[in-house]
Amino acid sequence: MSFTIGTREILAEPRPLPSKTVRYLVPVLSLIVGLMIGAVILLASGHDPIAAYKEVANRGFLGELPMIGTLVIATPLILTGLAAVVAFRMKIWNIGAEGQLIIGAVAASGVGLALGEHLPGWIVIVLSLLAGVAGGAFWAALAALPRAYLNTDEVISTLMLNFVALSIMNYLIFSSVSFWRDAERLTFPSGRFIADTAFLPRFWGRLHIGIFIAIGAAVLLWWILRSTKWGFEIEVTGDSGRAAAYAGIGVNRKIVSVLVVSGGLAGLAGGLEIGGVMHNLDPRALSLGVGFTGIVVAAVARLSPIGVILVAILVAGLNNSGVGLQTMGIPDDIVLLLEGIFFLCVVGGEWFLRNTIRIGVAGQPVGERSVP
Amino acid sequence: MNDSVIILTLVSAIGIGTPILLAGIGEMMTEHSGVMNLGVEGMMLVGGVVGFWASTETASIPLAMAAGMLAGVLVALIHAFFSVTLRVNQIVSGLALVTAGTGVSSFIGGLDNSALGGMRSVSTLDPVFGGDITDLPVVGPLLLGHDWVVYLSWLLVALAGFWLFRTKKGLALRAVGEDPATADAAGIAVTPIRYIYTLVGGAGAGLGGAYLTIGVFGVWQNGITAGIGWIAFALVIFAGWRPWRALVAAYIFGALRNTGFTLQIMGVEISSDILNALPFILTIVALIIISARPVAARAFRAPSALAVPYARESR
Amino acid sequence: MTGITKGFFGALANDGVDFDLQWGEVHALLGENGAGKSTLCSILAGLYHPDGGEININGRPVELRSPHAALEHGVGMVYQHFRLVDRFTVAENIALGHPDATFLSRSKDLEKQVEHLSSKYNMPVPADAGVWQLSVGEEQRVEILKLLHRGVQILILDEPTAVLTPQEARNLFRTIRSMAEEGRAIIFVSHKLDEVMEVSDRVTVLRDGKKVGTLPTSEADPASLARMMVGRDLEMPARREGVPGEPVLTVSGLTADGDRGFEAVRNVDLEVRAGQIMGVAGVSGNGQRELAEALTGLRPVKAGQVFLGGVDITRSSVLDRIKLGLGFVPEDRLGTGLAKGLPLAKNLSLKSYRAPPLSTGPVISKRAVDQRADELIQRFDIRGTRPGLPVSLLSGGNLQRAILAREISGGPKAMVAAAPTRGLDVAATEAIRTLLLEERDKGAAILMISEDLEEVLALSDEIVVLYEGRIIGRLRPDQADPEVMGLMMAGREVDLS
Repeated sequence: MSFTIGTREILAEPRPLPSKTVRYLVPVLSLIVGLMIGAVILLASGHDPIAAYKEVANRGFLGELPMIGTLVIATPLILTGLAAVVAFRMKIWNIGAEGQLIIGAVAASGVGLALGEHLPGWIVIVLSLLAGVAGGAFWAALAALPRAYLNTDEVISTLMLNFVALSIMNYLIFSSVSFWRDAERLTFPSGRFIADTAFLPRFWGRLHIGIFIAIGAAVLLWWILRSTKWGFEIEVTGDSGRAAAYAGIGVNRKIVSVLVVSGGLAGLAGGLEIGGVMHNLDPRALSLGVGFTGIVVAAVARLSPIGVILVAILVAGLNNSGVGLQTMGIPDDIVLLLEGIFFLCVVGGEWFLRNTIRIGVAGQPVGERSVP
Repeated sequence: MNDSVIILTLVSAIGIGTPILLAGIGEMMTEHSGVMNLGVEGMMLVGGVVGFWASTETASIPLAMAAGMLAGVLVALIHAFFSVTLRVNQIVSGLALVTAGTGVSSFIGGLDNSALGGMRSVSTLDPVFGGDITDLPVVGPLLLGHDWVVYLSWLLVALAGFWLFRTKKGLALRAVGEDPATADAAGIAVTPIRYIYTLVGGAGAGLGGAYLTIGVFGVWQNGITAGIGWIAFALVIFAGWRPWRALVAAYIFGALRNTGFTLQIMGVEISSDILNALPFILTIVALIIISARPVAARAFRAPSALAVPYARESR
Repeated sequence: MTGITKGFFGALANDGVDFDLQWGEVHALLGENGAGKSTLCSILAGLYHPDGGEININGRPVELRSPHAALEHGVGMVYQHFRLVDRFTVAENIALGHPDATFLSRSKDLEKQVEHLSSKYNMPVPADAGVWQLSVGEEQRVEILKLLHRGVQILILDEPTAVLTPQEARNLFRTIRSMAEEGRAIIFVSHKLDEVMEVSDRVTVLRDGKKVGTLPTSEADPASLARMMVGRDLEMPARREGVPGEPVLTVSGLTADGDRGFEAVRNVDLEVRAGQIMGVAGVSGNGQRELAEALTGLRPVKAGQVFLGGVDITRSSVLDRIKLGLGFVPEDRLGTGLAKGLPLAKNLSLKSYRAPPLSTGPVISKRAVDQRADELIQRFDIRGTRPGLPVSLLSGGNLQRAILAREISGGPKAMVAAAPTRGLDVAATEAIRTLLLEERDKGAAILMISEDLEEVLALSDEIVVLYEGRIIGRLRPDQADPEVMGLMMAGREVDLS
C-alpha cells in the first residue's frame, strides 16, 4: 500500500514479528490517541476533559466503592471475553455470547427456583451455575452443529440466536405466566426471586465470589490453551485447517467442542449474574451488551485470557464511572462513546504491528524508517 | 373495508418496515462489495438522532433526512477505514461501531441540556396524495396513502436491483464482493469500490434511522431502534442479497413486529415476544437451508468474499 | 524478448532468455517443471517485472507493468488457475472490466456477442450459463473468449491441456490454429511432446532457466526434443540398491476424484515393499497430489483398496493411518505439512503430541515437547531458527528437514513423500535424499512422488510413470534413459524390451 502526499511518498509494508517492546507500546500509544480524541469530543461539547477523565478514575477505580462496583461489572465481562477468546483462537466467530448468557441465566434461575427451597444452599449454587453453563453450551450448540456439518456461517447464526434468546427471556417474564415469573406482581412484571440460601456469597460489600470464578476460569483457560492436547489442537486448527487435517485432528468435532465451551463460558456469566447480582430473572436488569462488549474486549486483549481480565476491568471501570460523569453534567452515554473510540483505536493500532511505514520522496528509492 | 384489521396491519407493517428496508438495502449494497458492517444499529441510532435534531432545528423534513443520511455516512466511513484500509476484523469493527453509535446518539440527544428526549417531532411527514384518492378500497391505504420517504424506498429498491444486475457498475461491484483478486486482475479498483459502498450502506442506515424517529415514532429516545438495525442486518440474509425480496421481507418483518396486538384482537393468543423472534428464526432457517444445499441455493448465497479483507499479493 | 532475466530469492528462473514470436505462428515453449516457462510468460503478461532485458512489440520497446497494461498492448494470458468469477454467467465474466464505455450491462446483447465469437472460433460455450455449471474445458474457452473479446493479439496459453480431456484438447488445437491463421501470435506452453508436435509451428526449449534452442517443428522429432528438454545425460549415481522385503503398502484399482469432480486418479495398482523406494514420475497435474491425498486419507477413495501392512485402510481416518505407521511428506510444506504460524517445537510434535512422553492424559508437557524438538533439531541438523519462532521464517531446506524429522522419528512402516526436494539447494537436496535412503534401509516402504526426473532416478528402486491419473509405464532405473522417460511422461507407451 502506498500513497503520495505532495512530493512525499508514504509506503506501508508488511513487517515480520515486531519486538516485545513494540507489541506492548502500540496499544498504550493507541489508547493515548483514543484519550485525545475523546478529549476533543468533550471539549467540543463544552466539557473539561481533564476533569472528566479524573472523574472516570475516581468513580471507576480509586477507592473501595468504585472498585467493588467495577469488579461486579467486570465479572460477566471477563467470562464473555473468554468465550470470544476460545472461539476466535480457532477462527470460529462466535458472536452469540449475548444469547448464550441469557439462556444461561434462564437455566440457572430455573434450577435455583426449582431446588432453592429443598436442598442445601451450596448444592443449589453449584447446580444452578452448572445449569447456566449447560444452557449457554446448548444455545451455542444450536449454531455449532450446522456449522460443523453443513458449513452454516456461524457469524450470522450465533448473532441471530442472540435475539431469539432475548425474546425467550422477555416471553417468560413479560408475556406469560411462566415458572420464572412472580405471579403476584402484575403491573410491573418481574421474575421470582430464588431462595436467599442460594445466593452467591458476598465477601466485599456487594462483590460476590463470582469474580474469583471468572478469574479462575481465565487462568484455567490460559492453562488449557497452553498446556493441553485440546488447546494444542485449537492452536493448530486456528493456524491452518489443512495442517490440522493432515495431523489427524477431527476438525468438525473440534468446531463443536470449541463452540460449546465458548457458549458454556457465556452461560456461566449468566448464571453468576443470577446467583450473585440479580437473584431473579429480570430482562430489565440483566446487563445487556455484555456479550458484544466481550468480543471487543477479547480483541483488545489480543485473545489472551489473562489480558481479558485486565481489559475487562478497565472497561468495567469506565462503565462504572458513567453515573459520576452525569453528576458533572456530562451525559453518562459519553462512556459508551469513549469505549467505542478506545476500542477502535486499540484494535486499529494493531495495524502498526503488522506494517512498517517508510516515507520518501515520490518516485525515488526510500530509506527505511520505522514508526512503531 | 379500509378499516379492516388486515389492511390496518399491512399499513403499519409498511410504516415500521420502511426504516428496516432503507437500512437493509444499504447494508445489502455494502455486503455486495464484500464488506460486512455489523454496525447498522449504531448507524441508525446516529442517523436517527441527527435527523431528529435537524428536524427540530430546520423544520424541514428533506433537510432532516439528508442530515440523518450524512451522519450515517460519517459513521460508516469509520468502518470503511478500519475494515478496508487497516483490515481490522470486520466483526470487531462493526460491533465497536454499535457501542460507539449508541453512545454518540444518546450523547447528542442530551447535549446542551437541549434534551431531545421526549420532544415531539416539530414537523410531520404527510401523505403525498391527499384527499379522496386514499379512500379507494385497498389500494388507497396500501399504495397511495404514504409519505414520500416510503415511495423513495420503493424507488431505491428498484434502483438497487437495476444497479446491481443491469449495469456495468453493478457487475464490477459484485465482482469485488465475489472474487476481489479476479476483479483486480480485470482492472477494477477494489478499495475505492469497497469504500463507496460501505458509505452507501451508512447512508441507507442513516436515512432509515431518521425516518424511524421523524416518520414512525415522532420522538427521539435513547436506544429507540431497539433492535431494528439488527433486523435490517438479518433482512439482507433472509432476502438472499436481492433487493426485491428485501422489499417483501421488510414488510413481513415489519408486520411481525406489530401484529401481536392485531392477532389478539382477532382472538389468536400469540405473544409479541415470539413474533419479535420470528425474523431471526426465519433468517437462521433460511441460512441453514442455503448451506445444506449450496448448489441449489447458489442464487441466495452470500457474496463469496464477504468479510474477507483484500490485499493484493505483492510480487 | 531479449535477454530476459528474472531471479527469485537469489535463484535465477530466467537467465538471459531471448525469445521471438512472429505474427500468425503458434510457438511452443517446451521444458520440464521449473525450466522457467511460466516465469517467462508471466513477464510477458505483465505479472512479473524482469530484472533485466527488454520486450519489443512490433519493434517498439514496451513496458508491461501490470496484467492490465499488457492487455492494453494486446498481450493476454490464460493462466493455469482460471481468473473467473464463479457465480457470474459466461457473458458477465467476459464483460467484466471490458473498457467499453456503456453503462448498461445488457445481458441479451452480451450473450449474442459471446455466441458470435464462440461460433467463429469453434469454442462452444453456453453464454447465459453460470461459470459454476461449466466443465473445466468450457471454463478455459471462456478465458480465451475473454481475451479475444478484448482484442488480444498475442495469446499465451500456460499448459492449457493439463486440465483437458484428449477430445477437448483436440478441439483446442483447432481453435489455436484458426486464431493463428487470422494473424494472431500464440505462445503454447507445454511439456507434452505430442501436443507440441501437433499444434506448433516452432518450438523453443528451455532448461534450467536458459534457452536450449529454437527450431521449426517440422525439423524436430519427439526423441530429439525429449533429449533437449531433459538435457544432461542422466547419470546413475552410485548407490546401494535396496533389499526389498515383504509388501507393506498395497494399492489396487485406486480411483479418486479431483477437486473438480472428475477422476484424477484412475485404477492405480501399486505394491511398495519394505526397504524399497518406489518412484512415481510424471509431469505435474497428472494426479500426483490426488494420489498422495487418497493414500493418506485426506481425499476420499472412490474405488479400489489400500492396504498398509495387511490392514485395509481404504476408509480409515487420517489419525488411524498415522497410528498404523503411515508417514506423509506433503508437497505443500507450509500450510499442510507444517502449521506456519506455530513455532518449530510444536510443529515437530504435530503427530506425536497425543502419547507419552509428550503428553500424559490430556496434558502436554511443554518440557518434553521442547526436549524432543532439541533432539530432532540436533539429529536432523535443522538450522536458522529458535524453537520459539514461527516456522514460516525457516528456509525451504530446513522446513523439509523439519517435516522429515517428524515423520521419520515416528518410525513409519510406510511413507508417502511428495516432491521431497523441490526448490531446495544442492546441499539440502543431498541431505534429504540421504535421509530417505537411510529410512529405506531401515526397512520402510517409501512411495516417492516427484516431477524431478533426476530425483526419481537417483532414489528409486522401481519406477512407475503417472499420466492423466493412470500408470502408463513401469520400469527399473537402469532401463530409464532420457528418451524413454520423456516419451512416457508425455503420454506415449514405450515397449521396453
